[in-house]
Amino acid sequence: MGFVDKLKGLFKKNGDAAAAPKAAAPAAPKAEPAAAAPKAAAPAAAPVKGESTMGGSVYASTCALKPIPGYVPELGAPASGKIKVALYWAAACGGCDVSVLDSDEKVLNIGDMADIVMWPVASDGKEKDIEEMEDGSITVSIINGAVRNQENEHMVKLLRKKSALVVCYGTCACFGGTPALANLVPNGKEEILDYVYKQTPSSAAFCEAYPDKPHVPQTETVVPEGTLTLPGLYDVVKSLDQVIDVDYYVPGCPPTQETLGELLSAVVDFVYNGVALPPKGTMIGVTKRTLCEECPRHKENRRIEAPLEPYQVDVDPDLCLMDQGILCLGAATVGGCGAKCTRVGQPCRGCYGPTDAVTEQGASVFTAVASLFPVIDEDPTCKEDKIIDIMSCIKDPLGYFYAYTMSKSLIKRSVKEGGQ
Amino acid sequence: MADFEPRIVAFCCNWCSYAGADGAGVARLQMPTNFRIIRTMCSARVDPEFVLRAFAKGADGVIVLGCHPADCHYIGGNYRARRRIALLRMVLEQYGFDPKRLKLEWVSASEGEKFQKTIVEFVDTIKALGPTPLVKEE
Repeated sequence: MGFVDKLKGLFKKNGDAAAAPKAAAPAAPKAEPAAAAPKAAAPAAAPVKGESTMGGSVYASTCALKPIPGYVPELGAPASGKIKVALYWAAACGGCDVSVLDSDEKVLNIGDMADIVMWPVASDGKEKDIEEMEDGSITVSIINGAVRNQENEHMVKLLRKKSALVVCYGTCACFGGTPALANLVPNGKEEILDYVYKQTPSSAAFCEAYPDKPHVPQTETVVPEGTLTLPGLYDVVKSLDQVIDVDYYVPGCPPTQETLGELLSAVVDFVYNGVALPPKGTMIGVTKRTLCEECPRHKENRRIEAPLEPYQVDVDPDLCLMDQGILCLGAATVGGCGAKCTRVGQPCRGCYGPTDAVTEQGASVFTAVASLFPVIDEDPTCKEDKIIDIMSCIKDPLGYFYAYTMSKSLIKRSVKEGGQ
Repeated sequence: MADFEPRIVAFCCNWCSYAGADGAGVARLQMPTNFRIIRTMCSARVDPEFVLRAFAKGADGVIVLGCHPADCHYIGGNYRARRRIALLRMVLEQYGFDPKRLKLEWVSASEGEKFQKTIVEFVDTIKALGPTPLVKEE
């Protein structure tokens, strides 16, 4: 791919002695991994036949790369051809793509072992090219983002058809993520479009200045040259597995470098060394227990009188954040991220999703949080209204507890009484 | 709306309310048959997820019944239930449900009559509210 080759060019300039080891390493050692490949479990994911485009790694031998476990750069791509990888960006902020780029020089390693056939954020590769490929010819599609409009749905269905493996990369793809909070807007897409294109100050000014123009984007516009189309927005934001069949999940907002390494090494191990893939549906990079198990903070008898934001308190570096009055969702969130946020005094917001044992992360949070409030337990006369008064210091409980998992929640979206 | 028969899920704790429901049956008290009882060991066993799942599956109302305060078989289970249900009602309201669709009530083992009264009242409330606002997708 052009993108990877360009990067290689940059690296070559820096370490020009590179070419020698490459030339010295003939194609001979490749025979072995190629023979090992058929041993693997899932035949659907077998790499595509094709000619190896590269003899060996140029820069891998010159630069001190952090190796991806299982991938031996000296061996180069297997004789059966490099694996094909597609990365796609649906309804997401782009942070997941940046997290892939953030793998530093390892991103070159990825380019070395795989042909990146599509990666809108960093490389070329058009929808047309994907459509022309044979079904199942992409080894792995790593898709981030929720499904929110017709384009997202079309593209993920296309990639599903063309791929042997599909990975939900990031929280939006796994659970709906932050975009899925749009499900709580009572009147759905109409209200969202109306607000964004008519109510916000800049849009209101536009509406006033051009009262005759359409203000909300149209899915179809007729111009002299023909009809132009835009993808239509959906009322309900869906997670990836509610639209297509998914093989693996990588949660996180964004997923950590370690998780990306784990995912790639599983694929590489399979293709290059014939090691069986993890079972379908595996969450990659998570532990069995909650984040509290990983969090180094010291826990005491927690009580929250009014939830505070980290900037409102002088955060004690050793004490549990809940003890300091900061609402932390660690108790209801699965571990695996290494407690990156809580280590630096920020509460867990729950981006890794629920543990194995529950389906509803928000409900686990209610259980945890409800027991923290100073409702006097011994007072049998305490009325429910009074408890609600005490608890209403949590502003927007639904948005806070379901910040990342609304698509996967049981109710999924806002409802209207008497609306039938 | 007159012929609307609501579907109600009633969570009863094993030690008080379930026995209370039993008492109401033994005493042949008349009450609507719109509810299905699920027995739990304690009202605190009712995870908010259970309630949400009931609504997600089309329940028109959910009622959680437990021992009177200070009477819990497990000392403090009903206090925990009280807190959770309060928070859960806030969340249901945010979803757009009428919070009256979720009710928490204390019924002891000897209160068959109160059980009947509670159910009658709750069924009336739900009948007035109408069917669940949750629209099934697809």
